[in-house]
Amino acid sequence: MDYQPAILAKDLTKRFGDFTAVDHINFNVQHGEIFGFLGPNGSGKTTTIRMLLGLMKPGEGSVEVLGLKVEKDTSKIRPRVGYMSQRFSLYNDLTVLQNLNFYGQAYGLENSLLQKRIAEALHMAGLERHENTQTRDLSGGWRQRLALGAAILHRPEVLFLDEPTAGVDPLSRRAFWDLLYKLVSTPLQPETNQASLESEMREQRGVTVFITTHYMDEAEHSHRLAFIQHGKIIASGSPIEIKTQKMPGDVLEISPSDAAGAVKVLRSAQNDGKLPLNEIVLYGSLVHVIAPDILRHEQAITVILQNSGIQPGVMTVIEPSLEDVFIACMKS
Amino acid sequence: MNFRHVWAVMRKEFHHIIRDRATLFLVLFTPTLLLLLMAYALTVDIKHVPIAVLDYDATQTSRAFVQQITAGQDLDLYAMVYSIDEIDALLVNGEIKAALVIAPGFDRDLLSLRGMPLQVIIDGTEPNSGNFAVEHISARAETFVDSAVLSQWQPAGVSSDSLSVLDVRVQTWFNPDLKPRNDLVPGLISMVLGLPALSVALTLAHEREHGTLEQLLATPIKRAELLLGKIFPYVVVGLLNVILIPWLAIMWFKISFNGNFALFFGLSAIFMFGVLSMGIVVGVFMRTQAAALALSFLVIFFPGFFLTGIFFPLASMPEEMRMEAMFLPGTHYAIVTRGIFLPGVGMEVLWPYAVMMAVLGLVYIALAALFFKKKLG
Repeated sequence: MDYQPAILAKDLTKRFGDFTAVDHINFNVQHGEIFGFLGPNGSGKTTTIRMLLGLMKPGEGSVEVLGLKVEKDTSKIRPRVGYMSQRFSLYNDLTVLQNLNFYGQAYGLENSLLQKRIAEALHMAGLERHENTQTRDLSGGWRQRLALGAAILHRPEVLFLDEPTAGVDPLSRRAFWDLLYKLVSTPLQPETNQASLESEMREQRGVTVFITTHYMDEAEHSHRLAFIQHGKIIASGSPIEIKTQKMPGDVLEISPSDAAGAVKVLRSAQNDGKLPLNEIVLYGSLVHVIAPDILRHEQAITVILQNSGIQPGVMTVIEPSLEDVFIACMKS
Repeated sequence: MNFRHVWAVMRKEFHHIIRDRATLFLVLFTPTLLLLLMAYALTVDIKHVPIAVLDYDATQTSRAFVQQITAGQDLDLYAMVYSIDEIDALLVNGEIKAALVIAPGFDRDLLSLRGMPLQVIIDGTEPNSGNFAVEHISARAETFVDSAVLSQWQPAGVSSDSLSVLDVRVQTWFNPDLKPRNDLVPGLISMVLGLPALSVALTLAHEREHGTLEQLLATPIKRAELLLGKIFPYVVVGLLNVILIPWLAIMWFKISFNGNFALFFGLSAIFMFGVLSMGIVVGVFMRTQAAALALSFLVIFFPGFFLTGIFFPLASMPEEMRMEAMFLPGTHYAIVTRGIFLPGVGMEVLWPYAVMMAVLGLVYIALAALFFKKKLG
């Protein structure tokens, strides 16, 4: 059997009038990986995910999911993928159990199997004693875990998550990611009575997750990721690849006595051509200075700051965060 | 078409309806309440309409006539007046709704069978009460002529046929008591049973507004399955009303039901399908519930009121209006309810209307599925 990536997007483009929301993007997602799709609000993330799911027709280009053409074989793909849309997508006025029952039936699960899967989903979301609670009464984190539970009732091979953690507190975000890792690393048990060659193969390769987010720390958790800005992919690869390939230098972290003042002084030095720096970024009380072979400039930076009456404090060369890379990519 | 999918959506919709007490109450009882309200508001029997009398004749006959006119509960003698100006003042102040002017020579002309010189002045700003007064004065005048005049002339061989004083011949079929409700209530039933269409239009817009529609469309449920699953629960709720409302009409309004109830139920189910499909078309086009509600009123509720021939006869409408009315399931259903209730006709007469309602339902749901697809494409 020829190897097929889980998702393959070729020259994917979508225009709304004069506005190009998605502009000739290309990427592939391998089986069993968490693929992060990172970008600011309005950069084209949701439009892309809608095209991947066949909810929106691409203007140009094509999408294949599980080796099938999305536009032609939508009905074959639907039962094999799961989706959690950007807004909370369960019914607030129904109970936890009614929501799970509905989605299970929507994916055609037989009743006995459905009841088993619902029990598993409740366990996973930590909602065992809340089956009859109305969904609107759940807190944000619980709702997200319930929505995830509903999206995987039918054991999809590919899971599409559109900003699943937006507006959820950090602890719940963490819990959500733990669940995702569990999904990918210990694939869901297939039922013995349902076991077939196909589902065993699925078993071996595990769930593939396509997740959009604008949280940098979440992007770091992805196996591979793509940065999208103004509808274009500006960087892609594993976090390490992106950091080593896209970073125009090393990062020097400075903790000066006056961070804002330090940024101002260093920028003017940069503009005057006294310091060949690529980037000067303020991080709260810290300053990140980026340049190739940064240690050569450490002395000059110290002198410039001291001349302006600012104590340079501790200076260390650090590994760039994705945020550093992202800012560098966006500027270039 | 996968019926498991339709069933899943149906169950979910039932849960939505049952979950919210207010919605449940509205869906179940709005048609009943509306029927009660409209049947009363639109057919209250007018009583005690105040009139003034200006008697230029002032004879024994004219006085007897006035007494006869105001003997019942329908018309009250508010005042005897002596000039047209007084009538004008009373009408302007709204103290009277009509005035009766008896011309000089009333007694002489009537008794010599030359005619009945009467004038009735009515308040044109309130034509209902005015027309009511005219009708009742005419009716009483007829009785008066019969009793007072003919008794004198009969011995001389004059029969009522040769009297040209008043000659009104009305023959009323089906509603011999001419109770307006007998005709109105079956018509209103056809209108109030269309109400669940509004709910259907709203449910689709609700899913769109809350972002749940996108999630639904990503499931294997097909669009037609979704639309049908949304319609059926409301057909069931509507059919509960189909039992409740005729019962109300028969027990409360004492309207005779001369037809076959099973036939009524079956045709009502077809109507429900037709009008709910119309509702779902509205839901497909509108993005918000507010817009869906507004459009439902515009294309379902108001036309159901004005164009289906319940209040205004179709025959008197311009050609284009009549064409438009043909596209409303309610137009056909109004004929069905009236036909089954009063003359008690059967399928031999009603089949074309049944066919029309079914065809409209299919056309609307096909349209909904078609545009639903395009709208999200």
